[in-house]
Amino acid sequence: MRLESKLPRWLVPPALRISALLLLCALPAAAQQDPYLKLDQNSRIAIEQLSDSLRQLGLSDRPLWSKTLQGIRLGVDNRTIVGAVRKKFTNLRTAFTVLGPVGDAELDAAAAVLEAGAKPSQLSVFKQRQKGRSDLQAFTVWADLIYRSVPGDEAATAITKLWEDGADEATYRRLWNDVQADISQGLNPGAALQARVREAPVRPAAAKPPTPPEG
Amino acid sequence: MNEPKVAILCAAAALLVPAPRGLAAQIVSKIEAGQFSVSDGSLPMNALRLAPSIQLELPHAKFKARGSAFISEQALQLADGIVSGTFTSPTVYGVRAEMTGNASRAVDDRSLGNDQVDVQTRIHLQFRSRGGLWVGGGVARPWRLAVVSSADVTDAGVWAKLGDAAKALGIATFTATFTNFSFTKVASVTDTGSASLSCASVPMSSVVSNGTMRPLFSTAVSATACERNSRFGDLEGSMHWDLGALELTAQMGHRFGDSYDVTDDSRRWSSAMGTIWLNDRIAIVAGGGRQPALPLRGIPARNYAMGGIELAYWPLSRTAVPVSLPRSPLVKSFEHRAGTQGLQKIVIRVGGVETVDVMGDFSDWTPLTLVRRGRDLWELSVPMSPGMHQINVRVDKGPWVAPPNLPMMKDGFNGDVGLLVINPDKAH
Repeated sequence: MRLESKLPRWLVPPALRISALLLLCALPAAAQQDPYLKLDQNSRIAIEQLSDSLRQLGLSDRPLWSKTLQGIRLGVDNRTIVGAVRKKFTNLRTAFTVLGPVGDAELDAAAAVLEAGAKPSQLSVFKQRQKGRSDLQAFTVWADLIYRSVPGDEAATAITKLWEDGADEATYRRLWNDVQADISQGLNPGAALQARVREAPVRPAAAKPPTPPEG
Repeated sequence: MNEPKVAILCAAAALLVPAPRGLAAQIVSKIEAGQFSVSDGSLPMNALRLAPSIQLELPHAKFKARGSAFISEQALQLADGIVSGTFTSPTVYGVRAEMTGNASRAVDDRSLGNDQVDVQTRIHLQFRSRGGLWVGGGVARPWRLAVVSSADVTDAGVWAKLGDAAKALGIATFTATFTNFSFTKVASVTDTGSASLSCASVPMSSVVSNGTMRPLFSTAVSATACERNSRFGDLEGSMHWDLGALELTAQMGHRFGDSYDVTDDSRRWSSAMGTIWLNDRIAIVAGGGRQPALPLRGIPARNYAMGGIELAYWPLSRTAVPVSLPRSPLVKSFEHRAGTQGLQKIVIRVGGVETVDVMGDFSDWTPLTLVRRGRDLWELSVPMSPGMHQINVRVDKGPWVAPPNLPMMKDGFNGDVGLLVINPDKAH
């Protein structure tokens, strides 16, 4: 049975044009409903496998899906996205191996440092958790120093030394501000870091217990 | 598939458009006060002019109300007022549609006040937020000016931005437009007002057009009136230069049309205006030039000069410290501070742009558009849990970059990303 239009004939063409325009507006909105639609099936399976592996370790898989979404939003091809997610998985697993059970935020930050170029062994200083002390700022500044071409070993030595000396977040923040300013003035990144680390305040050395007299 | 089914399918598909979540609206209000001098061939008039305006901006709509009044010889006289609304569609592959409606009133000694309603649609094509063009058309319907019928308006234009808001020379926007007006003038045989067409004063002759004789005027419905199909086009160029605290605007134009539609004093016009911002709220403005006649409103061409103060009443943050870094040349500063209920307020200072977006792991990498809170101040409150977050910023839908004044790292996709630390004690 043929449906007959109830619209007046003169209204049909404008109605079609308006509907087409609304459809054009709706298409990007519909695509935004599920961003993972842009992943092909193989890529999605690969990422889900990595996600399962991470959950089996008792870790959150949110960083992996966040990295996936980041690649999708930036318009990166699926192969590159999977590669980046795989790298993220490896760094999270390594950070967990070195640091042990830590919060998701610390683990993600430590993985970011590894992703920036730090070595796993350099993270071991942060394994001993200190109550009331957050290592997030230390990891953030560490990743940035490597980004600004400070040699990896020099950056690791500076950050871990400050950590062992009891540096707080303000100290790391100040260090970052000063080093960044020096680099923008044209100073060599490694030299800038060395100079500023020497200026950073350190806690006084703990008094040694008295040595009993011989004899 | 027949037409009704296509129409039904398109309408059903259109229902997929989700309702906008979290409308970000902002209100901007300002008032101009100054000395205004106008001369249109008769005695010059000097008056103190007040021009308040208020604007409400939504993601895809903008509403504006503006008026002006003159204080002359201790009397307050309304000059004009306009209420307008603009609706824009989302931008798809650089193309967006726009519809504007205006209702306005202009008061002039000769016109004794006339109202006009305009509706116009445009299609815009934008190129990387640095340039674009548009075409459009609409209708202008004047009231209380019986000598002019509804006018068909068609327009087209191009625009381009040059420069960088963060650099010494600032950023300049150049615009060229052509607007064509086509309307019918109607006049009574006894009407001799200067803003109207007098049947008795104009010779009822013919004109040669395309080799054929055609009457210049046609008789109207009644024997006591005559009408003429009139048309003129305005070609106008403008430049707006944003140089930090200084803004300069210049315009010049030329009107095309035959001598019955365009008087000699309206063939060309030009004007310029300068604004110096003393701070984010107060500016000194000065300018002058020549305005062309507005035949649809019965207002003649006029020279004008003005100087005064502009007061901007938008809420401002007093703690943002501008820091410029080479990485993000357009973004001057980035700041974040704890808000209420686990929200973090992001404050970005960048001038000379239309939109500012951020995205990061806190938004599942969905772009979030900031709300303009000042001339170059943008804000947005977003929920962020304690931890290290990755964040990017972009202006005018350009490339994503790491914000200034933040540590950063490679993002694994050949780009950079900023690192933002939210500590538990600062998350509330």
